Amino acid sequence: MAQRREQIDSIIRVVTPENIAFEYRLAGPFRRLPALLVDFAIMGTGLIVFMIVLMMTLAIVSFGLTIAIFLIMSFVVQWFYMGLFEVYMNGQTPGKRLTGLRVLTTEGQPINGMQSIMRNLFRGADLFPMMPLIGPVVMTLNDRSQRLGDLVAGTIVVVEQNSWLTGVAKLEDHRAIQLAGYLPPNFVVSRQLARALATYVERRRFFSPLRRREVAKHLGEPLLQQFGLPADTSYDLLLCSLYYRTFIADRHQDEQRLAEAKAAAVQNNPFQQVGNNLFQIQVKMPPLPQEQMVGIPVDEVAKLKM
Amino acid sequence: MKVVELLERRRKNWQELERYCARSSLGSLNTSELSRFSALYRAACADLALSNSYQLPENTVQYLHNIVGRAHNQLYRSKRLDFAAWSKMLLEDVPQRIFNDRCVQLMFCLFWGFFILSAWLAYSKTTWPDYAEQMMKAEMIEQMESSFKNPIDGSGRDGDMNLIMAAFYIRHNTGIGLQCFVWGLLVVPGLYVTIRNALLLGAAFGYMARPDVPEGANFFHFVTAHGPFELTAIVLSAGAGLRLGLAWIMPGQLTRGASLQQTGTEMMPVMCAAMIMFGLAAFIEGFLSPSAAPYWIKAAVAIISSAALAFYFIVLGFPRSLLGATR
Repeated sequence: MAQRREQIDSIIRVVTPENIAFEYRLAGPFRRLPALLVDFAIMGTGLIVFMIVLMMTLAIVSFGLTIAIFLIMSFVVQWFYMGLFEVYMNGQTPGKRLTGLRVLTTEGQPINGMQSIMRNLFRGADLFPMMPLIGPVVMTLNDRSQRLGDLVAGTIVVVEQNSWLTGVAKLEDHRAIQLAGYLPPNFVVSRQLARALATYVERRRFFSPLRRREVAKHLGEPLLQQFGLPADTSYDLLLCSLYYRTFIADRHQDEQRLAEAKAAAVQNNPFQQVGNNLFQIQVKMPPLPQEQMVGIPVDEVAKLKM
Repeated sequence: MKVVELLERRRKNWQELERYCARSSLGSLNTSELSRFSALYRAACADLALSNSYQLPENTVQYLHNIVGRAHNQLYRSKRLDFAAWSKMLLEDVPQRIFNDRCVQLMFCLFWGFFILSAWLAYSKTTWPDYAEQMMKAEMIEQMESSFKNPIDGSGRDGDMNLIMAAFYIRHNTGIGLQCFVWGLLVVPGLYVTIRNALLLGAAFGYMARPDVPEGANFFHFVTAHGPFELTAIVLSAGAGLRLGLAWIMPGQLTRGASLQQTGTEMMPVMCAAMIMFGLAAFIEGFLSPSAAPYWIKAAVAIISSAALAFYFIVLGFPRSLLGATR
């Protein structure tokens, strides 16, 4: 069943017979136009090639039959090319296959033969000569990007991406892994936080360092406080290390670290002194990774505090 | 279990599923491959369902949505055209639907009303003296007169030409019919095309029927045989189109979309029937109409085809429920 129609992010949710809901992205006018143009081009060249082949073979036997076949062929192509392809290619025309689109019913089920023929017959109304924009306008007026033919046949066009399995993001900066050792081992990452971390780390490579800092600040600042880490730690690195902890690091590695941290805490207990003196921590702990643009000189912070 | 481990474990399965999806059709899979495919698909479904509790990263969830969608589309494919169901629909449902359809009846009245009005105006020289000339333009009249100058004796055509013309009529007339149907969705254009066709045809018939137009006899010799099928088919497609237009203007208790969808499904077979009629008309028009056959044969064909239409619409179309009720 199609649900979540209240959303405006053009995602439609389909529940399969396996009782699992997966999501489709609806294809808007600008995604569908290239497919249409490709199909028109194929129709045109296909007819010309067909004509040439007919002329070279059948025309020697019977000229009338050649013309007759060609006329009927052009009629069929004009009105039924898309519909027939969608029946036999499982909701795709060559253009749609090329651009990764597929036609489904509004319930997300495969279309039947009548629906595909029907939705394509009504292309005539969508591209009505007196008002050639009526199709695109109707498409923008409803929330599922349906043109008139889609409305009559009860179909939608979705993007069927051929996306790659990316797995987990690779952290090119080893300092992040290093920093993970300083995180409190008993900190549990909530699901929401995990989602946010994944989204951030998967996209951070598109951002400049300054922008990363700006984005990561909202999450990084309170987390730094919570963990009792120095305020000049790079927010970006903090999120990366959390990501590492959540998705990559092994559980027993965590336990090892926990044990190490406990041992270290017995010796000089760096985490307890956090509130009192920033300068002291800096001395006791090995220098934490920080970015040049981001880091605030420690002695200045100390001056301010004093 | 950490995400990396889980991904490593599942990656092979997903990529295998992807390979199956990439094969353009599942028809080429053998039984064991098919069962493997569905098992992989269900496993991917389960992974997607558990993605939240596994805390999979967003990109991977996206990937799972895509792969499950693609596999779903391969497993549950579009249905082929079901010809047996169509023939039942054409012989039982369509006639009954047409018999009761007010829109088809209205279009019938509109078409024939305008046709007869236009024919009368074109025929009569006193009511509106230059109606025919205004309606059809001089060059069209000239063209008509020149094409029907010679008696219809089959001399102007050979077998090749007949074939070509039959194909041309299929293409041209069915195209007009489909236009009436499809534009009917927008109501005004549908009405316009239908009425315009009625007026033009009426004017042509009326003008040709004038006693002082010598080509008239040839004209009627030509059009008699295929007339019933062709004109009925136009009325049918226009009626079905109007029904579609009214479906979204007056949806009744349904939403506009649902009403449009339902009517569309109902009217497609009607349009299909109309297209078959167009095809029959085109063959008669291509082969019999221009032939040297005497007029009585052509008239007989017209009568037989009218009778066939009457049988189709009235005998097959008479509501079964009504028959049951009277008994």
